[in-house]
Amino acid sequence: MNFCHKANALPSTSINRVLFFVALALVSGLGLSFGLHSMLVGHDSTFGTSREVPWGLLVSPYVFFACLSTGLCIVSSLAQVFGISTFQAIVPRTVFLAIITMATGLMCITLELENPWRVGFYALSSPHQSSNIWWKTTIYSLYLIFMVCNFLLLTLKKEKRAKVFAIIAFVAVTLGNLNMNSDMGLLSARGFWSENYMPLYFLSLSTLTGCAAILLFNWIGKSFSGQIAETKDDAALKATGKLFMVLLLGIFYFTGVKIMGGFYPQFTKNPEAMSLLVQGNFAPNFWIGEVGLAVLLPLALIFITRGEKTNILALAGISCLTGVFVLFYDLVIVGQLIPHYSQYNVVDLPKYYSYSPSLHEIMITTGALFFFLAAFILGEMLFKKIYNS
Amino acid sequence: MKGINLEKLHDEGVENLLSKERRQFLQFGLSISGVFLGGSILSVTSAKQAQGALSRGKVPVAEFPYSPHYTMVIRQNHCIDCERCLEACRKTNKVPAHGYRTSILERSIPIAQGQRERAFMPILCNHCNNPPCVRVCPTQATYKDKTNGIVLMNPEKCIGCKTCMAACPYNARYFNEEERAIDKCNFCYDTKLKESGGKITACAAACPANVRIFGDLTDPESDAYKLIHAPGKVLWVLRPEAGTLPNVFYLDA
Ligand code: SF4
Ligand code: SF4
Repeated sequence: MNFCHKANALPSTSINRVLFFVALALVSGLGLSFGLHSMLVGHDSTFGTSREVPWGLLVSPYVFFACLSTGLCIVSSLAQVFGISTFQAIVPRTVFLAIITMATGLMCITLELENPWRVGFYALSSPHQSSNIWWKTTIYSLYLIFMVCNFLLLTLKKEKRAKVFAIIAFVAVTLGNLNMNSDMGLLSARGFWSENYMPLYFLSLSTLTGCAAILLFNWIGKSFSGQIAETKDDAALKATGKLFMVLLLGIFYFTGVKIMGGFYPQFTKNPEAMSLLVQGNFAPNFWIGEVGLAVLLPLALIFITRGEKTNILALAGISCLTGVFVLFYDLVIVGQLIPHYSQYNVVDLPKYYSYSPSLHEIMITTGALFFFLAAFILGEMLFKKIYNS
Repeated sequence: MKGINLEKLHDEGVENLLSKERRQFLQFGLSISGVFLGGSILSVTSAKQAQGALSRGKVPVAEFPYSPHYTMVIRQNHCIDCERCLEACRKTNKVPAHGYRTSILERSIPIAQGQRERAFMPILCNHCNNPPCVRVCPTQATYKDKTNGIVLMNPEKCIGCKTCMAACPYNARYFNEEERAIDKCNFCYDTKLKESGGKITACAAACPANVRIFGDLTDPESDAYKLIHAPGKVLWVLRPEAGTLPNVFYLDA
């Protein structure tokens, strides 16, 4: 049954769309070529990272895209695994988005490694079960395979079999997400991470970004193919909008906890890091990105339009995604800026270490983002029928 | 993130302890400490144990897990910052200019109101008994030697994820661009230690002030053993709150 009312027939893939895709792919290629360059010459001369701050900008898009994929998988599971039919109409596009976001995330972390070519061999021949990084990479790689199977079966209209893969992928990605907590949270060296990587917070944040991406990319997808809204899609998007709002309120609470920690040392175990985030050099990121863009603006937009307008929901989505990206950047970087020997009255030890991303890191991140956008547009061209069925 | 600063605690004197209790503590091996405070004995090996003692909990009995169990005792107040140890380390272990395995931190310690004392604190890998760097490594490129407890690297397996660098609370690791792998102090395992039949490291051999005392915790004849077990001495480890159980001890001797 086709629920799609069309003002006119769906436009076929025109040359302009192909050109648009090619342009995105070219920018992506340009950005990623910086990654190849730094792989050849080493990160010492191309990355802004240092002995003291070993993880740089690229860890943020990795965490961001991996969480986004988790959120997308969770929302698609509402229909596929838990049988909530309202969300059924957006499942194929959501599953595709989940695949390309995870692929983008894994690409980012690959380019963050100094010797990525050793991964395949030694991750298999010398695995380390107590390493969260090992588990996470393995789980996310398997998850990607499950999601591809899920999508292929959906395109073949084999919903029952697709569901099996959806369930496995859902379990895998939830484990991977919780593993991400322990991955950073268990590092006693960086107390800021252990404090801020609470499993519930992380899972809520992931689902929040998933909802935001669904609102944004469904709207773009429809605009791209010149479609007017379909009833079933619309209902799914509005339901996603509601879930989005509830999660925003939840994240608002966690943001409030951060603010308290930033101003009042008694509310935190890491007062130096929290005040750096809330009142120090990272305050613009925090207040504009984490508070304004991630939470307040989306909430305001939804309240004003009562969550009825899909284009405003899309706007709320892009605002939230941008803010959460900043949040992950802050989390990764601020966590590393407290000097190791700060309690030892060391002469000339700065109060905080410093880090700023290099041109290479910025270009690789841009390349990864454009890779994702190009893949999304390709999906819109190739799977239009599946999305609309 | 401030833990117990053992260095700052006032030692009430181990001699005030009952000899039975003292003997018992000596048997604990690594959990021995000279800090005796208000009826509690604070372990130098871990905050967990120190807190256990504070809360009147049982201090776990620890055997030396390795044999030989290599350790280094740093006599902090003897260090004059001549940096010969750093030079020796560089030469012996071919450490490139962009990195270091060991370093010396200059400290300005408040001793009384308006008064500060200058001290030089050599730092290196602590060869922790509970090393977070080893736990996080996805390919076992870094591992703890099962015989002697030295935290070693297998550069071939290093994928350069730098998780170990993020996990080490002591900034003891760097990425060696020439080897394309992490590099760190290994107590000169493949260089000076081998040459000397397990007796000394390059930095300890080069130190004119006898600041770095390398030795074996299981050997009562070893100078390091003697220093650690000398009654009445206050020893401390760095960042005990990280729970890493370091094998490098500090004292003012
Ligand atoms: S000091 Fe750092 S590198 Fe050395 S064993 Fe401990 S955690 Fe690992
Ligand atoms: S950088 Fe190398 S040694 Fe360190 S955790 Fe990664 S693979 Fe292991």
